[in-house]
Amino acid sequence: MNGQRKDILDMLAEGKITSEEADQLIAALERDQPAAAASYEARPKGKAKYLRLEVDTIENGETGRVNARVPLQLLRAGVRLAALIPPQALAKANAELSKSGVPFDLAQLRPEQLEDLVEQLDEVTLEVDQPDAKVRVFCE
Amino acid sequence: MPQLLTVRVKPPKGRPIRIWLPVLPIAAVLSPFLLLAALAAAIACLVYRVRVTRAFGATWRLFCALPGTQFDVREGRTAVLVSIR
Repeated sequence: MNGQRKDILDMLAEGKITSEEADQLIAALERDQPAAAASYEARPKGKAKYLRLEVDTIENGETGRVNARVPLQLLRAGVRLAALIPPQALAKANAELSKSGVPFDLAQLRPEQLEDLVEQLDEVTLEVDQPDAKVRVFCE
Repeated sequence: MPQLLTVRVKPPKGRPIRIWLPVLPIAAVLSPFLLLAALAAAIACLVYRVRVTRAFGATWRLFCALPGTQFDVREGRTAVLVSIR
């Protein structure tokens, strides 16, 4: 149930609106929703070509900036190459991760899952704002 | 596949240095070493039971996906730019 529909039902339960008014509001909501859904679906997906990383820092009065641009195609190729890592190397990496306090089994990661992850990256925007640093990760 | 690697270094003092490295001619010059490296990689694949064709295919795709990569780092008056086209 979406938030607006729940609000209408809450108002009806609290007696703030009549059942006819609630019916009209829900009907109006349903009229608006297909358009909203269509516009979301119409968003260009998979159009992003690059993963961008921007870091701005201020340290001892000096500004620093890191601006990296990595093609998403490179990430996909990297995932395919990573799929060829031999099990012995994965076992060693798992052991080192466990030693560092990260009990993570890399063998459980499937290339297709990673590819799905890369496919969805174009909708990711990550921003970290600190007084002395600003980090932004996004796709373009 | 990548054609040109550009490296620009701007030291705090002095003139910035720009280097353009054409990938194909450099690969041609280094081809004997590349051949040896490929041979070593193929042996490593056989030792670790990784399919050689898949490994070379994946490496080639990775290499071909490099164009567009760019790293630009600035710290105060120092700047380094690495760009692959």
